[in-house]
Amino acid sequence: MAMDSYAVGYWLRRRLGITEVRREKFLLVARRFQDVFVAVVRHRMGGIGVGILAFFVTLAIIAPLLPLPHWDQGGFGRIQQPSWEHPFGTDQLERDILSRVVWGTRISLLVGFVSAAIAGVLGTLIGLASGYWGGWRDETLMRVNDILLSLPWLVLLIVVATILKELSLEVIVLSIGLTSWSFTARVVRAQVLSIKERVFVERAKAAGASSASIIRRHIFPNVFPLVFANTILTVAVAILSESALAYLGKVNKNNLSWGVILQEADASSAVLNGYWVWIVMPGLALVFVILGFSLLGYALDEILNPKLRER
Amino acid sequence: MSDVRRLVLRRGRNAVITVVGIMTLNFFLINFMGDPTELFAPRDPKIPDEYVQENCIRYGLCGPDGKPLNVPDRFWIYLQNTFTGNWGKSYYWKGADVLNVVMPALAWTVILIGVSTVITILIGMVVGAVSAQRRGRAFDVVMTGFSLFFYGMPFFWLALMMQLTFRQPAFGLNWWPVLPTSQEYDVSIVGFSWARMDHALSALQHLILPAATLAIGTVAGISLVMRNSLIDVMTEDYVVTARAKGLAERVILRRHVLPNGLPPMVTLIALDMAFIFGGAYQVEYVFSYEGIGYVTILAITQYDFPVIQFVIVLGGLAVVLANFLADLVLLKIDPRIKVT
Repeated sequence: MAMDSYAVGYWLRRRLGITEVRREKFLLVARRFQDVFVAVVRHRMGGIGVGILAFFVTLAIIAPLLPLPHWDQGGFGRIQQPSWEHPFGTDQLERDILSRVVWGTRISLLVGFVSAAIAGVLGTLIGLASGYWGGWRDETLMRVNDILLSLPWLVLLIVVATILKELSLEVIVLSIGLTSWSFTARVVRAQVLSIKERVFVERAKAAGASSASIIRRHIFPNVFPLVFANTILTVAVAILSESALAYLGKVNKNNLSWGVILQEADASSAVLNGYWVWIVMPGLALVFVILGFSLLGYALDEILNPKLRER
Repeated sequence: MSDVRRLVLRRGRNAVITVVGIMTLNFFLINFMGDPTELFAPRDPKIPDEYVQENCIRYGLCGPDGKPLNVPDRFWIYLQNTFTGNWGKSYYWKGADVLNVVMPALAWTVILIGVSTVITILIGMVVGAVSAQRRGRAFDVVMTGFSLFFYGMPFFWLALMMQLTFRQPAFGLNWWPVLPTSQEYDVSIVGFSWARMDHALSALQHLILPAATLAIGTVAGISLVMRNSLIDVMTEDYVVTARAKGLAERVILRRHVLPNGLPPMVTLIALDMAFIFGGAYQVEYVFSYEGIGYVTILAITQYDFPVIQFVIVLGGLAVVLANFLADLVLLKIDPRIKVT
């Protein structure tokens, strides 16, 4: 019983509300994304960054399929030096450190992406509101922004963690997300201030467009590339914050991240005893992931920021 | 009133608002997390009630009549006290003034941050400037790659790596330098004084690794920003003109690029202060360097709220002040700043 594929396509399109105009628009946006992606990969640094990130994201996804023991499985001997069976050695609870480093990718990336997404959305909304309306709203939001930028958040988070005994994943993600929108908001605000003076915004206003539609149609699309580049950098910052908290022993150890591994190494006096692989490997993973995000963010900035373009 | 003065006044007002905001947020966050009055609740029946009450009054948690104060009242008193220079008493250090607990530690932190920041700014600016001038060539690509690599390095991990590298027995190489990896001066020294040569020497030796860690962790940010700031200027029309009329690259850099590219650096270095403080906390923790970071961590584990509060406000204040000063410096050196 052969289904008419054309009819199915028609039905699906009707169902999802895909009209010709919307399709064209979507394709335009997709093509723009494709252009940027190609430019990033061609950009020497951007290409390396994308490569590094692709490696770690793949690692996070296929971790359960790799021929490694489960990250929490013990019984391999207490603190063994690296060997063929355990290339990174074993830890104080007789677990395989290589497996722990591989599995740690998951939480580290998850915390980075989710908190950066929260910060990106908040920063964009606040930057848009602040830049578009100006006046007392702008004044208030920018003062709040100043306060957030000057508070030593790491210390405050440590205080929170000490009182709650340890931080759960949700608390970490929320607190990092809610406190790292300031830079995005500033960048967006500055961009909005310059865009709202342009002729096309004036024209839309004269044609009677509402504020909401001006922001959505004319301002947001022009701000989005910047938000994107900025959010990529926020991911790196979020991963760093989480690792510092974990290293200070303030997070739940079941949410295995690279910081947790480093904390356990430290608690076993790894420096004093010279268990260098235990310290070097999770740290290198951390450094390379952050390098990946920095390279990508850097390349995006060079591609999307017209002033930095080579003449 | 002149425009400049109005601008300075507005920036000053904003700075004050920010500081009060920091204090408010800080006070309520900490008080929401745990009720300090509970710390003085008579858990041990052998402790007489009068003693508990006396303590409660002494630490400003109870009114003079011995009744516990509620949070809004305490906040009002806290604000008043802060502006009159009465910064509270430490719970942990038997009621010592917070200032006396924090100040000796602060001195060590200022030394650490001061030394590393000076090194950072010097090296970062030179590397950034050379990178910008040789944009796209081998030096630039290698340095930018290096900078990005170190830019994202967690301070605590860098500190651990330093300890691993310079510890005893140092890879079995007898020429490898072994450097002290903990505390501010040798453990054998009692009654430290900068006036004594051997004490000062020991302190300097102990400073090498923490300061180097902090410098390596922050230099990348400065050099990257310097590079981009200069490249920004180098695409301006007047630089193209200068090049077209045949000026030497060196002259273009000194006369046209640097004067226009440096002012933004002032703001960025000020903004970087918060980042440097965060780094100093981690470095001090790893190296058991008894500065502000170390004292803070101790205070947190002891639930010493007045000390925690003071340290957080101090950190915020330093950042606000740095930004305010940067604004003033910019007004002075950059004629392009619009006075509105």
